[in-house]
Amino acid sequence: MTNAEQKKQVEAPVRFPWLESFLEGWSIFKQNLLGKIGLSLLVMFALMALFSYLPPLINPMYNPMTGVDPNILGCTGPSLKHWLGTDFMGRDILSQLLAGARVAFMVGVSAAVMSIALGTAIGMTAGYLGKFTDTVLMRLADMIMVMPTLLVVLLLAAVFGQLNIWTIVLIIALFRWPGVSRIIRGQTLSLKQRPFVEAAKVAGASHMRIIFRHIMPNVLPLAFLFMTFRVTSAIITEAALAFLGFGDPGTVSWGMMLQWVWKTGNMFQAPYWLLPPGICISLITLSFYMLGRAMDEVLDPRLRKEDQTD
Amino acid sequence: MELRKYITGRLMQITLIFFVILTVLFLLFRLAPGDPVTRMVDPDMTQEDSQRLIAELGLDQPLGIQYVIYVKNFFMGRFGYSFHYGEPVVDIIWDRLPNTVLLFTTSIILSALVGIFLGKIASWHKGKKIDSFMTIGALATHTLFLPWLALLMIWVFAYKLGWFPITGMISEEVWLDPESGFVAKALDVLYHMVLPLSTLFLIHFGSYLLIMRSSMLETLKEDYILTARAKGLEEKAIRNHHAAPNAALPVVTSIGLSLAFSINGGALTETVFTWPGIGRELVSAVSQNDYPLAQASFLLIAIVVLISNLIVDVLYAYLDPRIRY
Amino acid sequence: MPLLSVENLTVGYNTKHGSLKAVDRVSFTLKEGESLGFVGESGCGKTTMGMALMGLLPPNGSVREGEILFEGTDLLKLSSEQMRQVRWSEIAMIFQAAMNALNPVQRVGAQVAEAMLVHDDLLKEEAALAKVEELFDLVGIPRDRMLDYPHQYSGGMKQRAIIAMALACNPKLIIADEPTTALDVIVQDQILEEMKQLQKEFNLSIIFISHDISIVADMCHDIGVMYAGQLVEYGPREAVFESPVHPYTKALLASFPTLTGEKTDLAPIPGETPNLVRPPAGCRFCDRCTKPGSTCKTEPPQWVAISEEHKALCCRCK
Repeated sequence: MTNAEQKKQVEAPVRFPWLESFLEGWSIFKQNLLGKIGLSLLVMFALMALFSYLPPLINPMYNPMTGVDPNILGCTGPSLKHWLGTDFMGRDILSQLLAGARVAFMVGVSAAVMSIALGTAIGMTAGYLGKFTDTVLMRLADMIMVMPTLLVVLLLAAVFGQLNIWTIVLIIALFRWPGVSRIIRGQTLSLKQRPFVEAAKVAGASHMRIIFRHIMPNVLPLAFLFMTFRVTSAIITEAALAFLGFGDPGTVSWGMMLQWVWKTGNMFQAPYWLLPPGICISLITLSFYMLGRAMDEVLDPRLRKEDQTD
Repeated sequence: MELRKYITGRLMQITLIFFVILTVLFLLFRLAPGDPVTRMVDPDMTQEDSQRLIAELGLDQPLGIQYVIYVKNFFMGRFGYSFHYGEPVVDIIWDRLPNTVLLFTTSIILSALVGIFLGKIASWHKGKKIDSFMTIGALATHTLFLPWLALLMIWVFAYKLGWFPITGMISEEVWLDPESGFVAKALDVLYHMVLPLSTLFLIHFGSYLLIMRSSMLETLKEDYILTARAKGLEEKAIRNHHAAPNAALPVVTSIGLSLAFSINGGALTETVFTWPGIGRELVSAVSQNDYPLAQASFLLIAIVVLISNLIVDVLYAYLDPRIRY
Repeated sequence: MPLLSVENLTVGYNTKHGSLKAVDRVSFTLKEGESLGFVGESGCGKTTMGMALMGLLPPNGSVREGEILFEGTDLLKLSSEQMRQVRWSEIAMIFQAAMNALNPVQRVGAQVAEAMLVHDDLLKEEAALAKVEELFDLVGIPRDRMLDYPHQYSGGMKQRAIIAMALACNPKLIIADEPTTALDVIVQDQILEEMKQLQKEFNLSIIFISHDISIVADMCHDIGVMYAGQLVEYGPREAVFESPVHPYTKALLASFPTLTGEKTDLAPIPGETPNLVRPPAGCRFCDRCTKPGSTCKTEPPQWVAISEEHKALCCRCK
């Protein structure tokens, strides 16, 4: 690119920022090995989640929660009928694992979407309105960021009793928005200065209109890209909660599986039960992390591998 | 000195945050659905004791007065009685606190130091095998699920190989024996600490390694590195004296940012290894509906987190003269 | 024998777009105690050349051709360990103050002392710090600021500290790369005056790199004008500044305001610098030249001697 072409990249209010950024990001992403591995792993997990509906349809004994094999009483190792063996109640471990994938995605994505929505709304408001609102909101964000989410949910479980999965997701989201809001706020602050916002103000647009029509479209791609980071922490928090015994007893998550193997004293004897859920949680965390790092390169041009000239 | 002002400012901030937490907790326990009295007073207590406790905690008073009594009680260390242990809560948490602090601080310091050291080395050899090895290793260990790793550690090293004890912090034989000196007892604790410490270490050092590595790579592009090279310094001196002290700063920041994560991990580790710390106490208190103990444990953990934050901030201010002066 | 003699120096960079020649066959000499200024717009290669002289090119850059004779020794033939010894003790560099040239977490005095301690194994730390005090006096920084950190210094003070650091090992040659660019005019003037003094006092040779031709004309005995990696005009300052020959030099002078003389409109130079990965076959300035000749576009220009010391790289300048 000659100097002239470089100078032509004047910034203007983009109508469809997500489409352009997405396509540009995709070409960069494709070159990143980590990102590709991460994405393939995630696809594998997604397939697992989809397949989780199959086993109970094949035979009710494969139901992760209630399935009981009439021929089996307790823990058994891998066999032809049960590829990963059975747990202490005779339930098929593989179908539990698949169901766990479904729960992981559900928890991760919902918590991420909620915290992004909340964080974006708060970040935009703080950045746009500034002054007092900004200070108050950001102080609130600071305080929430300090709190260890897991322990807070524990305490709430103490007060409110057994929590159901959606409550857990909501609480996780409530503790995750500060990170998002900081970034969005920064972005909003810089957008606020731009001429097109000034123009809108002069034309008499109301605050709401400016926020939604002008600022939000430019801020959303950033928000969505940050989702990758939020998803893992939600999954881990839910898994840790379930592990400790405070999860939703009606959902089969990987953390729940670990709880069962631990509490029923089978952890030493049943590696086929102990290993798979832990491996899954760790792998999904790894894959989101890899994806996140690839996203980093997309987001921040400085991280891309370009030779420098002087 | 600027540093003193900075510390005082942060202390005030922390106190404020703590009060907010204290108040929120107060509202939570008094206003949540259900009878607050059952959450504060052990239903198994005698009528007499119950009445006394209710009066002490001010549960028969209007909310405003309750709050004042609550705060007063807090500062006087009156947290009520544990339903489960039947003892004053304050005794229990006071007993558990040092155990948590021991495990927690040791693990953070160890993972930070090793992470920084290895990250520095990884950045020197960027692109070569040793760098890939360390980066992949860091990534792999950092993403492991902590409770699961803990279970694996116990399974392999304690159960199968028998090298370390399966649970607990102390061996009763050593501690009950009047002949045991301080060294014997200390070694015993260390012996029990190896597995939980290793678990925490493995989970945390990776992120510090990765951050230090990328921080070094960034720092090496800075202008003052060019100056150092122009002055004729050896590469080794440049990396150790000029680059590393600057590159370590973001790592310190990240220690502070991930304190909440570290405390979560600490609580999980204590639970799986049955290490008698505050985190484990909170978990068991919640599962036994021991509200006074749960509440106090949580508050104490909050204090630990806030003070750790302060320590990290002060450390950063000490290391970066731009903050101090 | 001149202190420094550079012959056909060519420096290239490997970029993802291809290999580019940032410095193309530049030759010049510098006598002891004299100063030579290099002017040109950003990207013309002057900084790269300075880096090449010190052996500080980045990993993707390398000297493709040429020799750098410093007191008779070809620096390019030295091992990296030998070059390390030469750096600073013989040839030092003054960077732009606005750059992050000082380590933010180390005290300024210690950084200046470090320059001395690196090159002298026998020197003790107290002795080095004593010398730093003298240097600070020399450049005009109060002694009690030695223990401060760089962020506590003003721009002018930082520049002075950098100068003090450059003088620490009594080098023979100093390469100053845009030393006053980020400073306000008054401080700029002061620093330049101080540099002139120091040059006289220590009989230093200075290579002065700047985009501001007026500064270079003020400071230097000789001027070299660079464009797109090539040296296009070279000669004593009076000759180049007052009777420029090359169209680029003329255009450069015309684009700077002058305090004296007639009031003329400032004339910016239209066009863009050429792509150095695929440089044009003929004269690199051709596209922007006001009066290109017929062969200028296709044939590379030749050196034309205007006088014994003044020469220009242009076909039309006879």
